[in-house]
Amino acid sequence: MPIRFSTLRQGVRLFPALFGVLVFTLVGAASLAALLHHMDLTQWWGYLQDSYLWRIIRFSLWQALLSSVLSLLIAVPVASCLSHREFRGKHLLLQLFAVSMVVPTIVAILGIVVVYGRSGWLTSSFGISVPLYGLLGILLAHVFFNMPLAVRLLIQGYGLIPSAQWRLASQLGFSRGTSFRLIEWPYLKKVLPGAFVLIFMLCFSSFSVVLSLGGGPKSSSLEVAIYQALRFEFDLDKASFLSLLQVAICTLVAILIYKVAPKNQQDVSLLKAQCYFVKDSVVARCFDITAMLLALLLVLPPFLAIFDPIFSSQFLPTLLASATQKAMWVSLSIALPAAALSVLLGGCFGVLARTAMGRGWWGLLPSKIEHLGNIILMVPGLVFATGLFLWLRSLGFGFQSSYWVVVWVNAVMALPFVLRVLMPVLYQQEKRYRNLYSSLGIYGWSRLLIEWPLIRKSVAQAIGYALLLSLGDMGVIALFGSQGLVSLPLYLFQLVGSYRLEEGACVAVILISLCLILFYLATRIIGGKPDVRD
Amino acid sequence: MLEIDLQYDWEQFHAAYEVSISPGMTTLLGASGEGKSTLLHLLGGYLKGRGSVSYLGEDFSKSAPFERPISTLFQSDNLFPQLTVWQNVAIGLEPSMRLTDEQRGKVAWALEQTQLIAKQDQYPQALSGGQAQRVAIARALVRKKPILLLDEPFSALDPMLREEMLNLVNTVTQQFQLTTVLVSHLPAEALQVGGQVMLIAGGRVVAHEEASVLASDLLPETFSRYLGVVND
Repeated sequence: MPIRFSTLRQGVRLFPALFGVLVFTLVGAASLAALLHHMDLTQWWGYLQDSYLWRIIRFSLWQALLSSVLSLLIAVPVASCLSHREFRGKHLLLQLFAVSMVVPTIVAILGIVVVYGRSGWLTSSFGISVPLYGLLGILLAHVFFNMPLAVRLLIQGYGLIPSAQWRLASQLGFSRGTSFRLIEWPYLKKVLPGAFVLIFMLCFSSFSVVLSLGGGPKSSSLEVAIYQALRFEFDLDKASFLSLLQVAICTLVAILIYKVAPKNQQDVSLLKAQCYFVKDSVVARCFDITAMLLALLLVLPPFLAIFDPIFSSQFLPTLLASATQKAMWVSLSIALPAAALSVLLGGCFGVLARTAMGRGWWGLLPSKIEHLGNIILMVPGLVFATGLFLWLRSLGFGFQSSYWVVVWVNAVMALPFVLRVLMPVLYQQEKRYRNLYSSLGIYGWSRLLIEWPLIRKSVAQAIGYALLLSLGDMGVIALFGSQGLVSLPLYLFQLVGSYRLEEGACVAVILISLCLILFYLATRIIGGKPDVRD
Repeated sequence: MLEIDLQYDWEQFHAAYEVSISPGMTTLLGASGEGKSTLLHLLGGYLKGRGSVSYLGEDFSKSAPFERPISTLFQSDNLFPQLTVWQNVAIGLEPSMRLTDEQRGKVAWALEQTQLIAKQDQYPQALSGGQAQRVAIARALVRKKPILLLDEPFSALDPMLREEMLNLVNTVTQQFQLTTVLVSHLPAEALQVGGQVMLIAGGRVVAHEEASVLASDLLPETFSRYLGVVND
């Protein structure tokens, strides 16, 4: 019975990975059960008749719709211009867009308040004062984050256009308008629905932005309502009801995403793509310049505003203040274990998925495993954290468990991104070398040792992303953050809330620097020396 | 007369083409990687080279592809899959596809010349390889550019069909007095279409003769070296 024996041995080798996935699933299920346990069905009818709830839902949908439409409306001409023109600073602009997608939410919010706020740049230099708190502020922030994301997604759509079509357009003398209508639009049409749904969902479940810029109960979102129910009303029943409602809506949208979203693709580099020259005109030029200026006007000022305080006299005192130091320490002590945990979980998922890959009936498993890891995209972190906290409380742990709840939820929230980075490499290694490995009898750790040089770059990237995400997170920590558990983003939120913008800006700079340093260290120490040939 | 004096450098490959091409058919022969397509891409304006190229004394080396007196037929991807046959031809006249009655007549005439009238409302996916290339020829016909460049456009077709297409190109060339340059790796094609034959090697024009020399006993040495395998 040699075959039986070897499959058994292989099963034992998979045990650690299985254990990781099992813990992940159990904790998730227990949290959800704890939430369900706390609901009181008799109350639900009352909640559903609460006009405030419906107003929140209506407003959430409305602001999400406006945000995503605006982001796409600006992104389409910007993406078109970027793929047609070469100009000085293009590379810089693309990098600015990339950074604006990963900059911690609260930092960007601070930048927006400094620019558009009551005594902000706009008021002091032009005398224009805008009603920032409310719909306008929310839209400004959402477009700041999502317009660059939309540009990136659309550029992926442009990557699908065969260069032969541009060659033809060039030969036939198409104007920009004609090439847009005949060539670009048919391809954009394939990407736009997915991009819309993705951005819509991000804006619908937006927490920090609505909490800081919503300015009151008039413009609130479901997630903020959950936060308020927990934090200020201590109403677990209401919170669990709202949470389930949120999960239901997000699940609905997530299903839509899987139906229409474009397949994940590697980043397309615009700088390498071959694009033939299409007939230029004054109109096209004006159009492009307008679009680019609009995009720049929305994205650039908040950035400049963040970096302004480096020259302020407050910078050093703020840096050395004990509150800042403490917050820095809290941030590190959350982000580092969360990132490590996230990558560990990602590894478990990856090993399990790739072992099942292409083995008859088991071959159905990998995509299911990936979906399991992505489940947090449907269950907002706040909701998950609430459930986890309730479960731990029922086991007898009180508030002392908050730290571990925050770490675990941060790790789980980073998991989808970690999986996105790790899975392709792991699958590739498996596909190429499975037979070689099994013929040589190399399994388990010895296999990891052999693969390490090939996968370390991806592992480093995954850790880097996980670090960035947990460093910037303000959702979960806002719920549990109390005395002694105030991270940098939460501290920053408190400063912005009390309008101490100068100090806030200093903290923002510290937070960004911390992000950059940790990201660099992670990619350098774990990823090894940068490849000269890259 | 098409006067070419072009240079192009790419890593270890240095090309310098110097030749005058008269109206009628000219077949470009040469082994793979010797620079046939490079010359065509330079002429079409899809590669940036140095030097000059002029037609009837007018230099167009600085012009954009659509301003050159040239229509190019590529090996593949000559059609927009999202447009019908009729639209694919019509964009040759007017990118907006809003045509006058006279222009519509022209499109109809070109489709007739290429025997595509019955297919005019179909999309390229529904066409065979030969039909697709005929659509591209129809577009070249309506564009009325005096120079026609063909970059092995029929290499994926069956021998019978290829012969048919070459005859069509030949007829069109004679009828409209075009200067047609056909890239090929089959000496037989050069013999079939007649006219001139040019041999490209190492990025240079190494021979330029009547196509009929390929069939004669007095084959120039440059050609016999290229055709070596055949003669032995």
